[in-house]
Amino acid sequence: MSMNQPAASRTQDTKSTGPGRLLIAVYGIFALAATARAGFQIISKFAEAPVAYLLSALAAVVYIAATISLAKKGRSWFKAAAVAVCIELLGVLIVGALSIFDAQAFPQDTVWSQFGRGYGFVPLLLPILGLIWLYRHRKPAEQP
Amino acid sequence: MTVDGWFIAALVVGLVSSAICVIAALLKKGPNDVTLLAVAAVELFLLSYLVASIVRTAAGTAIAGAPWEFWAYLITAISLPVAGFYWAILERSFWSNYVLAAVGVTVVVMMARMAQIWYGAAAPATATGAALRTGLGMALGTGSVQ
Repeated sequence: MSMNQPAASRTQDTKSTGPGRLLIAVYGIFALAATARAGFQIISKFAEAPVAYLLSALAAVVYIAATISLAKKGRSWFKAAAVAVCIELLGVLIVGALSIFDAQAFPQDTVWSQFGRGYGFVPLLLPILGLIWLYRHRKPAEQP
Repeated sequence: MTVDGWFIAALVVGLVSSAICVIAALLKKGPNDVTLLAVAAVELFLLSYLVASIVRTAAGTAIAGAPWEFWAYLITAISLPVAGFYWAILERSFWSNYVLAAVGVTVVVMMARMAQIWYGAAAPATATGAALRTGLGMALGTGSVQ
């Protein structure tokens, strides 16, 4: 039966299969790690560095959004995933650069600090892999 | 961080479990008894660590860091093999074995953090951060970074 499905729905549905499952699993782990870290920082020492810890919370929200939108099927979820992964890439690049060149204003404990060095640079790699994965599974209408 | 017997055991169990799952995935096998048991072994280890930690704290050992952070880490770690199992059996392709492989490695990292909280070692980010800053600064030719 699945061979008779229109190409559009087949292409969209493969976003969460095969390698996509591993990608979503890793995103899920980072959603968990970032949420836990931001939660702990905000509860226990928010006054020390409000900006950094709010950025931690933003990272957590972005990872959660990316995990859910990558796992869901359909056109709008695809767009949501693309937006979330792009914000994630910008976040890790901007926060990574700031944490290295303006270290005083930027305590080094967010997921994105030093381009995610504390997490084996996976935070830097993840959005790139995510964008490649989304590009290869984009809607047929958008293909050249 | 202080490396104790629990961490060494976690390192062995977690890495062997991940290795088994990666090998199974490389052989293009879907999740089977071998890989699911490998993940179950990680869960069994974590449950014994939970019991031992409850016994140790009840016997009077104080956790050096924030106790609730330690327990939150432990409960999250315990739920990881279950989540990985659930996510893997929904689609029984060889890719799911890579998902299962992620469980063991992640648990080892979380155990390292739990050991830091238990024995009270500070996060070691500062020294390496300074080295990375210096290295990047030299690479980009900016003398002003410290």
